[in-house]
Amino acid sequence: MGSKNMAERVEITAGDRPVREINQDIRGQVQAGKPIVVSNTMSRHNLGVGLPAGADILFKGSVGYYCGGLNDGARIHVTRDCGWGVGEAMATGHITVDGYAGMSAGASMLGGSIHVRGNAGPRCGVAMKGGDIIVEGSIGYLSGFMAHAGRIIALGGTDDAAGDSLWGGEVWVDGPIGSLGVDSKIIEPDSVEVESVEALLAQHGLDGSGRDWKKIVSAQRLWHFESRDARAWLMI
Amino acid sequence: MADDLKTPWEYPFEPAAEELIGFADGAIENRPAGIPSSYDRGGSIRWTPESISEIHALSQLGRYQIRGFNTFNKSFPTLDDLVFVPATMTRLPLEGYRESCDTGTVLGDRPGLVEQPLELDIPIYIASMSFGALSAPAKAALGYGASKVGSMTCTGEGGMLEDERRASQTLVYQMTPSRYMLDLEHLRKANAIELVVGQGAKPGTGGLLLGMKVSDRVADMRSLPTGVDQRSTVRHPDFLGADDMQIKIEELREATNYQVPIFLKMGATRPRWDVAIAAKAGVDVIVVDGAEGGTGASPELLMDHTGIPTMSAIPAAREALEDCGKADEVKLVAAGGIRSGADAAKCLALGADAVMVGLGSMIALGCNSPRYLESYQALGTSPGRCHHCHTGLCPVGVATQDPELESRIDVAAASERVARYLTAMTMEISLLAKACGKSSVHNLEKEDLRALSMEASAFTGVKMAGIDKPFTW
Ligand SMILES: Cc1cc2nc3c(=O)[nH]c(=O)nc-3n(C[C@H](O)[C@H](O)[C@H](O)COP(=O)(O)O)c2cc1C
Ligand code: SF4
Repeated sequence: MGSKNMAERVEITAGDRPVREINQDIRGQVQAGKPIVVSNTMSRHNLGVGLPAGADILFKGSVGYYCGGLNDGARIHVTRDCGWGVGEAMATGHITVDGYAGMSAGASMLGGSIHVRGNAGPRCGVAMKGGDIIVEGSIGYLSGFMAHAGRIIALGGTDDAAGDSLWGGEVWVDGPIGSLGVDSKIIEPDSVEVESVEALLAQHGLDGSGRDWKKIVSAQRLWHFESRDARAWLMI
Repeated sequence: MADDLKTPWEYPFEPAAEELIGFADGAIENRPAGIPSSYDRGGSIRWTPESISEIHALSQLGRYQIRGFNTFNKSFPTLDDLVFVPATMTRLPLEGYRESCDTGTVLGDRPGLVEQPLELDIPIYIASMSFGALSAPAKAALGYGASKVGSMTCTGEGGMLEDERRASQTLVYQMTPSRYMLDLEHLRKANAIELVVGQGAKPGTGGLLLGMKVSDRVADMRSLPTGVDQRSTVRHPDFLGADDMQIKIEELREATNYQVPIFLKMGATRPRWDVAIAAKAGVDVIVVDGAEGGTGASPELLMDHTGIPTMSAIPAAREALEDCGKADEVKLVAAGGIRSGADAAKCLALGADAVMVGLGSMIALGCNSPRYLESYQALGTSPGRCHHCHTGLCPVGVATQDPELESRIDVAAASERVARYLTAMTMEISLLAKACGKSSVHNLEKEDLRALSMEASAFTGVKMAGIDKPFTW
């Protein structure tokens, strides 16, 4: 993304201005069809929330919670770290984080993609319902907790409880797995799946070939209470 | 003295035979004492037939029981323990037939933070009940009925059902920790957003929908495999405490451009503190759901053994808002066991700005109505006693996803019953308010009430009848 020449971007300064004002400025420039650079980000929360397709924003510095939250198509690039819930509830769009992502990156996202160049914190992809999260470093504990669908791809291994309580979805890991989460299992990915992951990585300029993939999916034991027989619930 | 008993004394006739003294002439063999029914008395207050059958159930199943409806714990006080004391000499009543009483209710009126507050014609709305727990026709009928009388509905956990969005003029979109179907597009279709941190029937735990009700459509809306027993988390995926929630609230305001109010729903546990914390975190409306609140499916023990009664939660919540200086900014909605206009009026008098009805509105739809008797029988129950929403086999099509069962709801008729129920409740509230001399239902106050029991007085701070003093410690 940094592809766009800095000079082409309209600059908005965050600083200690009210977030409402900063986001208003961002929306105004998005409407005008201008690519944006936000400077002096000061790890402010809720920057670039709920933006539409066509928005193209570079945050120069670190951002706080929920950057790109409820994203609806924007392409967002953060040059340093981000706080909790980057890209939470994103429907479509793309977010790149050059540094680290805090807890719950991509929480409950429905689509789109997030690319973290550093590590991601705990509960990465928690409750996610679609889309892809690519982390070049490692991901924290309870990754993919109760995720429904989508892919989390960790190139630098995981902490404990990887792929915990998945309903569905996949956690792809290259590197060491701290421990497997509750009700998850590692299966051998087939070649078509591997190709698709490699293609996705290639889109983000990453080489997926020759990796030692471990694909974590739901063991489906938590899908049902012990008693699968509906009639058992009629006793009361 | 004891010796006196031994003093020989003779009947003036032959002593009776021992067998006859033991009722041997016709009594049950081997039961020489008592009357037959005394053996069947079962008088233990600990080991009632219910607690005995509970152990039989637990020991067979090896798990707790799950069911729908609401608590069966008989120790919860009821709002029947409070009565109104209408105007007599100290106050002047309104003339019921010609003087009007305002029932309009505004929620989320915070200029600058909320551009479009919710303006309802009545102080009652339909509680958040998910599509999944309820059938699509039931959701639609609740929406149409509420719209007709200028009220609103709330989606509940399962995402935004098109049928409900179409039917409801005003729709609150619930944001539970599972965040089903929650994206910008749907948020922007909502007239208000409700963050859920708990519910009265099962505080401290998340949503529950047994596999029988996870149909293809439900599964699709929730991004779940069809037929799984859906258990939701109780913690939100991207915030934990109130400090984080404050940031979340700002995010929601940003995403919806400060147009719609933000609600927070909680189960009543420690409202005096929980409500103050929620108000400080910046929500516009706080919904406090008492332990008597309804549910589509919950572990039974949570219904019976967690949370505090609605009656006790409302005054505590009101005082909390006042103590933290938020009473003018934050509105309070009460729910949990509200059946009639009388119940609703008492909640308003105790300090609520509006009330929410769940089970009451389901019953208006036709829940527990005396039809399709064989379907009730198949569940081992009968109209008036059914509490089987968890099974998905609702005899009248309200709490099911079965196409055949849900076709038993006539949407037009059910909508009208909901509208009439809400209208009747509103008339009841204004009747009481006018009798108490109030030109707005929102002017009802604690002083308009008296308690019939020490408990009710102690829970609410309402004065005891006759004594005119609240029970104090
Ligand atoms: C069938 C049913 C489904 C419910 N679904 C939800 C839900 O999805 N989310 C929620 O916060 N509360 C849910 N509730 C609780 C209601 O929103 C409300 O708090 C409760 O019903 C109020 O008590 P009442 O039924 O006595 O009026 C549900 C209740 C019922 C009866
Ligand atoms: S009639 Fe239907 S909605 Fe009513 S309690 Fe029974 S199952 Fe639940």
